[in-house]
Amino acid sequence: MTRREHLRNLVLLGVVGLGLAFLPHGLSVYLRSFALFTMMYVVLALSWNIISGFTGYTSFGHVAFYGIGAYACAILVADHGWPWLATLGVGAAAAAVAAVALGYPVLRLKGPYFAIAMLGAAEGTRVVATVWDGLTHGGVGISFPSTENSMATYYAMLALMLVTIVVAYVVGHSRFGIRLNAIREDEGAAEALGIDATRYKLAAFTLSAVFPAMAGGIQAYKVLYIDPPSVFFVQITIAMALMSMLGGKGTVIGPIVGAVLLYTAQELTWVNLPTAHLIAYGLFIVVVARFMPRGLMGFAIDRGWARKGMVH
Amino acid sequence: MEPRPGEVILEVRDLRKAFGGVRAVDGCTFAVPRGKISGLIGPNGSGKTTTFNLLTGVATPDGGQVLYRGEDLAGLKPYQIFRKGITRTFQITRIFREMTVLENMLSVTGLGVPDPVARARAEELIAFVNLGHLRGEYGGRLSYGQQKLLEFARALMTDPDLILLDEPAAGINRTLLRGLLGHIHALQERGKTVLIVEHDMSVIMNHCERIFVMDYGVKIAEGPPAEIQRDQRVIDAYFGRRRAGR
Repeated sequence: MTRREHLRNLVLLGVVGLGLAFLPHGLSVYLRSFALFTMMYVVLALSWNIISGFTGYTSFGHVAFYGIGAYACAILVADHGWPWLATLGVGAAAAAVAAVALGYPVLRLKGPYFAIAMLGAAEGTRVVATVWDGLTHGGVGISFPSTENSMATYYAMLALMLVTIVVAYVVGHSRFGIRLNAIREDEGAAEALGIDATRYKLAAFTLSAVFPAMAGGIQAYKVLYIDPPSVFFVQITIAMALMSMLGGKGTVIGPIVGAVLLYTAQELTWVNLPTAHLIAYGLFIVVVARFMPRGLMGFAIDRGWARKGMVH
Repeated sequence: MEPRPGEVILEVRDLRKAFGGVRAVDGCTFAVPRGKISGLIGPNGSGKTTTFNLLTGVATPDGGQVLYRGEDLAGLKPYQIFRKGITRTFQITRIFREMTVLENMLSVTGLGVPDPVARARAEELIAFVNLGHLRGEYGGRLSYGQQKLLEFARALMTDPDLILLDEPAAGINRTLLRGLLGHIHALQERGKTVLIVEHDMSVIMNHCERIFVMDYGVKIAEGPPAEIQRDQRVIDAYFGRRRAGR
């Protein structure tokens, strides 16, 4: 891709960012919060995509990092009186440490074994949050001091989303990203070409953990109450994966498109058909897996609407 | 860079590897001369590919030594051996199928050069193997012969000193093969060392200066093609004795 195209994409992102910055003033509280959650899912899907789309290690436990970030924020704000923005950095750091400690053993596993290990790890984190009363207040959860923060959290999420998009874009178009793809395609061959797979996987995994942690912190401050089942909710992981797959995992634009489409669809069906949205979700998985195994972006590439590969 | 006569780049000493009860490589010893094209041959199951895997760190030897420029490679991982200047191709190509030809080339590490230089080198090598028109195509969409050329070109990204080719002639047509052999000779002229595992005897006999013959995990003969063709042990290994029924 030429410098000109990168510049064009950066300008495009700037325009979208600016538009979103002016948006909330004209919106109802409901729509503002809808926009915030859409942006949050963009962050989650893009992050999941770094380890699972680019690198091919399908994680079914990414909600663990989201929950760690939410708890870091809640504990520090509610119990220690920290300014909430500062807690996002602590959450990100805690998630990074957890990712390295967890990734070192589990990234040796492949395919379904890795997926299941991550599912177990997320459940394990939830259990720890439930039983470690002294730190997390256990099953009772943590309430924040009540404040009006819909604007502050909106802008924080917007900033986080823009940063995540830029990072995903840079990774996707770099030789680092190409090497992650190589690991996904054939790890043994990648190592025979000089790629230290362990280090690359760990880096990708850690990178994919920090943004969900910050999203978790912002979301916690937005809803002002968290407990283990709500922030270690397995459906959040499934949503990240589905959004990424729908849009086209292994691309940058795919997870963004997937998150916006799926979250909007979910919100519409949820409002009108309270339980049916789960059925719709299930059908969606089947249809995407059956007819668009490489997502909307794969569909577009096969028809010549988009170029193959990330580097041209 | 004309190598001194008799100079050795890679030395294998008493190399051993067993899989369960099968001694795939059972005390193999040979020395690859620098700056030449050498061949490693032997009947099916004689331990050639296992030897390649031991040389490149894909498998760990049970015993023996692999000395590259006098340095023992034992215990090094594949990516570490690669960075010492040894690259390989695989018997069945292992290109990255859902990555473009250009991305396959750029995935290689250890170049120690900035992006534009790496890219220029990738483009140059893609042209070298005549895949320029396919640079934006997925690796998996290439014909098998083209995949072999891509894998070969990819192995040259770092300008390695020792190139191990596992059955380069298998599954590709004569025209592509001639091209590939031309590329191999071009490398040798630039001072590179090539070691080829191959079943196609015309490739081995016409293009290698030195041949090592393996059978049952050990080297049974070594020499220039004319000598190997007359060697009774080699003839026995391929046609005689134990394999008479095949």
